[in-house]
Amino acid sequence: MRWSTGSVRPEALALGLACALAAGGAAGDVAYVTNQNSDEVSILDLGAGMERARIPVPGKPAGVVAGAEGFFTVSPDSKTVRRFDAAGAETGRVNLDGGPIGIAHDAARGRIFVSDWYNARLWVIDAGAMEVTGTLETGAAPAGLAVSPDGRWLVSADKEADRVSVFDLETLGAPRAVAVGTRPFGLGFAPDGRLFVGNVGSNDVSVLDPASGRVLATVPVGERPYGVAFARGRAFVSNQYADTVSVIDLATLAPVAEIAVGEYPEGIDATGDGGTVVVANWFSNTVSLIDSDRLVVTGEIATGDGPRAFGRFIAKQGD
Amino acid sequence: MRMGRRAALAGLVALLPAMALAHGPTRQKVTVTTELAAEPAEVWAAIGNFQDFGWHPAVHATSGAGGNEIDATRVLTVGEAGGPTIAEVLYKYDADKMTYSYRITEVAVEVLPVTNYSSHLTVKPREGGGSLVEWRGAFYRGYPNNDPPPELNDEAAIAAVTAVYQAGLDALVDRFGAP
Repeated sequence: MRWSTGSVRPEALALGLACALAAGGAAGDVAYVTNQNSDEVSILDLGAGMERARIPVPGKPAGVVAGAEGFFTVSPDSKTVRRFDAAGAETGRVNLDGGPIGIAHDAARGRIFVSDWYNARLWVIDAGAMEVTGTLETGAAPAGLAVSPDGRWLVSADKEADRVSVFDLETLGAPRAVAVGTRPFGLGFAPDGRLFVGNVGSNDVSVLDPASGRVLATVPVGERPYGVAFARGRAFVSNQYADTVSVIDLATLAPVAEIAVGEYPEGIDATGDGGTVVVANWFSNTVSLIDSDRLVVTGEIATGDGPRAFGRFIAKQGD
Repeated sequence: MRMGRRAALAGLVALLPAMALAHGPTRQKVTVTTELAAEPAEVWAAIGNFQDFGWHPAVHATSGAGGNEIDATRVLTVGEAGGPTIAEVLYKYDADKMTYSYRITEVAVEVLPVTNYSSHLTVKPREGGGSLVEWRGAFYRGYPNNDPPPELNDEAAIAAVTAVYQAGLDALVDRFGAP
C-alpha cells in the first residue's frame, strides 16, 4: 500500500499480491476496525488475538481500507476522510460534503475513491496529497467500493439503483452499469477476478464478470447480506439480520455452511494466509474469528462500540 | 406508555418526502433491560407470542397472520381504536431460547421517528431467581438525509425507542413484580 502517487503498473501490483500471499500468515496481520458509535478505530493484532490500541476517530467512522503502511477511514457525520500510519497516527485528512461512506484504495496509482451516498458520485482523491482530484457519476446511493485484484476495475454498489457501476481504472470514463439484485451494499472481488455483490433487499449475492458486465449467477444467502470476503476457495458473506456468515464454494457456487457469529455482523475480511476470516459484530462490539478451513468460530476480540469495518480492513503482512 | 405515546404524537412534524429505503449514515442501537420476580417461562408465556403485543401499554390492538413462524406479520394499532399503525414482520423465533426478532416494515416517522428498524426481545433466567428481560433495537433516524430537523435526528430516534422499551418493561414490572 502506497500513500504517494506512483506509476506502478497493475501487473506489478498483482505480483506484489502474489508475494504477499506466498509470505502469508496471520502473524503480522492487523485489523483496523471502525467503531462507529464510539468514534474510534480498534487496532487488532490478529496473530495475538488481542486489541493493540484504540484510537479516537471523530465523526462516526464507518468506511475503512487498510494496507501495510497504514489505513484510511471515512467519517460520514463529519464528512472527513483520514489517513493514518500503521500505528494509528493521523498523517493527513480531507474534508468532503454530501454523504461519504465507502472507500477503496487504488494502490498502484496512489488514489483512493470514496462513495457519496447522497449525491450519486464517487470522489477521486490523491492518496499522497489528500486532495480531491475529481468526481465520478454513479447510480443512486453508492455504498461499497472495491478495486479488482489486477488493478483494472473500480466498482461501486449503487444501493438505490439496484446496480453496480464498473469503472475502468485506467480511463475513469463513464461506467458500465450492471443490474444486480435488490439494494446492493457491500461487494468484493474474488481472487479469480469475479465480483460478488451482496444484495440486502433480495438476500442474495450477484456474481458477475466485471469485464463483460455479465451476471454469471445469483446465489441465495442469509438475511441482509452486508459484506463479502474470500479465503481458501470460498466466499464468506456476513448476514446482518441472521447473525451468521454464509460460506459459498467458489468453484461450484454451492452453499457450504452458515456459521453463527455475533449480532449484526457487518464488515468482513480475510487474513493474508486465508486461514482466518474476521467479521465485525456491530451490536455485540466484538469481531468473530472464523477458521476458514474448519468453518468454525475460534475466538472473539472485543472492540469499541458499534464496529462497522466497512471495507478491506485487514492489513496483510507483505501488503 | 401513555406518556411515551403522548410525547411521540406531540412530536408530529411536517411530512417528509417518502424515502422509505434511504437512511442516514449512522445506525443507532438501544438496549433496555429489566429484572422481574417471575420465572422466565411465566414471562415468556406472557410476551413470547408475536401475535399478541397487548402486554405493551401503548398497544391498543394486534392483528396479524402466520403465528410465530418466520415471516409472520402483525399490525399494531397504537393508543386507541383508529390510532396510528405499525406493521412488523418476524424474522427469528426461538421458543427454547425465549427470544424473537422482528423488524418494522411500515411506520410513519411521526409515530416512531426511525427507519430500518429491527428489534429483539429476549427473556433470560436471572441469577438468584426470577428473570431478566432484554429488549434491543437497531435503527436509523427518521430523517434519511443530512441536517435532520431536531425531532428526526439521532437523539430523537434513540429517545423514542428507549421510551417505548422502557414503558413496555415497566408494565412487566407492574405485572410480575421486581425480584
